[in-house]
Amino acid sequence: MITAQGIARTFPGRGSMLRREPVRALRGIDFTIPDHGAVSFIGESGCGKTTLGRILCGFEEFDGGDLIIDGQSMKALRSRDRAQYFRRIQMIHQDPYSALNPTRTIGQILGDPLHLRARQTGAAAGWVRDRRAELLGLVGLDPDYVLPRYPHMLSGGMRQRVVIARALTVDPEVLVADEAVSMIDVSLRLGILQLLQGLRAKAGVSLLFITHDVATARYLGPDGELYVIYRGMVVEHGGTDAIIRHPTHPYTQCLLSAIPVLRGIEEPGPDRLIPLAPLDERTQPPGCLFEPRCPQAAADCRAAVPELTQRADASPGSASPGSASPGSASPGSASHEWACLHPETRSVVATVAS
Amino acid sequence: MAAPVKPETATGAAVRVRDLTVAFRTQEGPLPAVSHVNLDLVRGQITGLVGESGSGKSTLALALLNAVPAPGQVVEGAVEIDGVGDVLALRRGALRKMRGADIGYVFQASQNSLNPLKRVGKLLLDLGRSHGLRDGRALIQQSKALLADMGLDATRVLSSYQHELSGGMRQRVGIVFALLLNAHVLILDEPTTALDMLSQAQVLEIIRRIHAERHLTTLIISHDMSVIGDLADRMAVMYAGRVVEEGPTASVLACPRHPYTRALLAAMPRITGDTAGARALPGRPPDLMSIPRRGCVFEPRCPLATPACLDDEPPDTYTGDHRFACFVTAGETQ
Repeated sequence: MITAQGIARTFPGRGSMLRREPVRALRGIDFTIPDHGAVSFIGESGCGKTTLGRILCGFEEFDGGDLIIDGQSMKALRSRDRAQYFRRIQMIHQDPYSALNPTRTIGQILGDPLHLRARQTGAAAGWVRDRRAELLGLVGLDPDYVLPRYPHMLSGGMRQRVVIARALTVDPEVLVADEAVSMIDVSLRLGILQLLQGLRAKAGVSLLFITHDVATARYLGPDGELYVIYRGMVVEHGGTDAIIRHPTHPYTQCLLSAIPVLRGIEEPGPDRLIPLAPLDERTQPPGCLFEPRCPQAAADCRAAVPELTQRADASPGSASPGSASPGSASPGSASHEWACLHPETRSVVATVAS
Repeated sequence: MAAPVKPETATGAAVRVRDLTVAFRTQEGPLPAVSHVNLDLVRGQITGLVGESGSGKSTLALALLNAVPAPGQVVEGAVEIDGVGDVLALRRGALRKMRGADIGYVFQASQNSLNPLKRVGKLLLDLGRSHGLRDGRALIQQSKALLADMGLDATRVLSSYQHELSGGMRQRVGIVFALLLNAHVLILDEPTTALDMLSQAQVLEIIRRIHAERHLTTLIISHDMSVIGDLADRMAVMYAGRVVEEGPTASVLACPRHPYTRALLAAMPRITGDTAGARALPGRPPDLMSIPRRGCVFEPRCPLATPACLDDEPPDTYTGDHRFACFVTAGETQ
């Protein structure tokens, strides 16, 4: 289990000496990735979700808060001692076309980390060969076909499966998938998503799924949790299905409204919201960070930064009548919370036309 | 019951593609990337072209500009464009004039297709000069109006290098380049790939508005059925170099007739509906070498395939202005 407490990261600004201002990529984020769980981060480009994934893999330092992996605080450790903890968290890269060395066969690509692992665990000689075939079977590839081939001989979907198999060579507990399906054809995405969901049970891993496409997060399992991130802050958190059904923060509603609607088979949601302006990272609003773009902003939104809260009566403002009762969304999933002074559920997601 | 409307008799087409075959010369002999394609782009409408990587969508679109890169070559067919005639017969000067003046093309990955060493304003002036426009001032005025129309800060964009613009902004600058010479046909190749959802929605809305305001005939190419389903009036589904289904978008999506279209729809991650009903597409998309030479090209991946599908290529079946190429589903009653 991994717990993040107030993770923050500030980058030194770019530009001329006089205009240089630090960029606050993460402003204190709390989250928990339970064992065998599936957690998704969604948000637009530049919201900090990729930085968060990189911090989790140990590729990036954090300068505020703490990361606790299996009960061990990372802040308390020297960077050399952190390596054994970060080994348990493996990244699946976004681009399967550049994540594999083009001059090496798939057999070599998978063999190297396995030989390393065999030395660490003192495994027998034939273990590497068996494990390689086992991992390829797990990701749905035929070892005899794939092993002697170079990456360019495989399709995008097959390459992404090789990338996943490579991440599994070091027996991780968590896979971090940063836009893992956005570079591959829509027709092949579902196969990869179903594979990731299956790995939770078969390989005993938990998933951290980073995406801008909320729809893909639904396919990781019914117990998935969603964190909506805006400018380095969590603005809404809850079960994936609960948020899609009852989006409460206006930013979440904007993201869901932006999903294309299929003519002839879907009806657009009646309350669709569009942000008033594009993202401008240079401004620092005094109150709610989303206020300058929020179609529903009120005067008091400029005065105070809203905290992540959970309404005691669970159903906010004008929840649509006949909506599912709070407990029915997904048993055992997270509580639904949001950071907005004027929370109101809106119907923004398209529905299947009758 | 509506009389069958064949493409030859359809009126109001601004672009007519007839029996187009584009082949690539290889050591194995010529291999067709686009094979006997018929497609009309109806004047004033948005046509969507959807298919997996390698299905021949971009090759088809480049053939509309007579710009298929070697070793590719148009071996058969015609592309007729209103006010231009047969594009495939044009040579040098006439061809260059047609590109830009009649057809505007927004390239795939247009986010990276701008010259990184020049400011956007300089690039726009280069474009005007290469088409013999001497009045640079008027050109800049016109591009400022277009940029402002797309919700961009025109002065800032013109004095920016491409790396100073976000992905969504570069995509919109690509559209400005395509429309600056008042083209009446606009072709967009994967205009929203690599954009996040909010930028994608914004770009789609701009395409929709510009298309209507300028009375364009638009072709939008994407591997993402949801983009086509949101934007296009008519859609064509491509597989292995063939148009396997084509018709009004609502009709194709609500009653898909080709097994490939049905499989694509079932394999789409969707925000509505039951996730358990989703089915990944079996097999892998064919490349030039592995396209079946005989019979139906979708047969190896088709759940409905019969022995008859191995022998002949299925002809188009028409129901109203919706056509598809399948032996098996042609027998279904609607």
